[in-house]
Amino acid sequence: MKVTFYGKLAAMLGTELELAVETPCTVASLRTRIAEAHPEAAKSLEDRRVRACVGSTLVADDHPLTASDEVEFLAPVSGG
Amino acid sequence: MTIYVRLEENRLDPREELGALIDQAAGDGAIVSFVGIVRPTSGDSDQLEKLVLEHHPTLTGQSLEEIAVAAAQRFDVSHVRVVHRCGEVQAGEPIVFAGAASPHRRAAFEAADYLMDRLKTEAVLWKREEGAAGTKWIEPTETDYRERGRWE
Repeated sequence: MKVTFYGKLAAMLGTELELAVETPCTVASLRTRIAEAHPEAAKSLEDRRVRACVGSTLVADDHPLTASDEVEFLAPVSGG
Repeated sequence: MTIYVRLEENRLDPREELGALIDQAAGDGAIVSFVGIVRPTSGDSDQLEKLVLEHHPTLTGQSLEEIAVAAAQRFDVSHVRVVHRCGEVQAGEPIVFAGAASPHRRAAFEAADYLMDRLKTEAVLWKREEGAAGTKWIEPTETDYRERGRWE
């Protein structure tokens, strides 16, 4: 599964990761899977303000994912 | 009613933005604008060279639009204008312009205040400071979230 990161998550994990993930799964289990593989980023990934996005739509942690989904994780945002 | 939103990669001149809003607002009684400027020091008082704002190809524009539309719907305003920089913004340069025009002043004040509270906490941008002390990612502060909460 292709996973893309933005903000400080991209700085920690790289912009893109290709992960072997058992599907179907949920956004929450994908988050856990990435955190296990990259413990240095676990705390940042588990931040409740980190949002997931599939097909340019923000999705909740229980959103179901298939192998063909591309998931984006957005670090906490700040403008102004 | 007009809503103007722009994500600007190169140059933001607040004088031009205010001028455009004034031109649009013929017949209104009030215009309020806010200009955010990159401070020359970071939150830790270190010398700051620049801010770098990363954006998302679709969600950033959508978020700016959604915030501007919400302000227009919530307050009795005639025009809303939001221009936000992305990319590298040097210390001393404008980073955001948020303005509103309305028949009476209160709505324009409140709309500009609301726009900024939401932009600080919800605009899909990732901001980092770069300076002598290295790189630091900036996230909304507790104060930013509390001020956003005033509008719930």
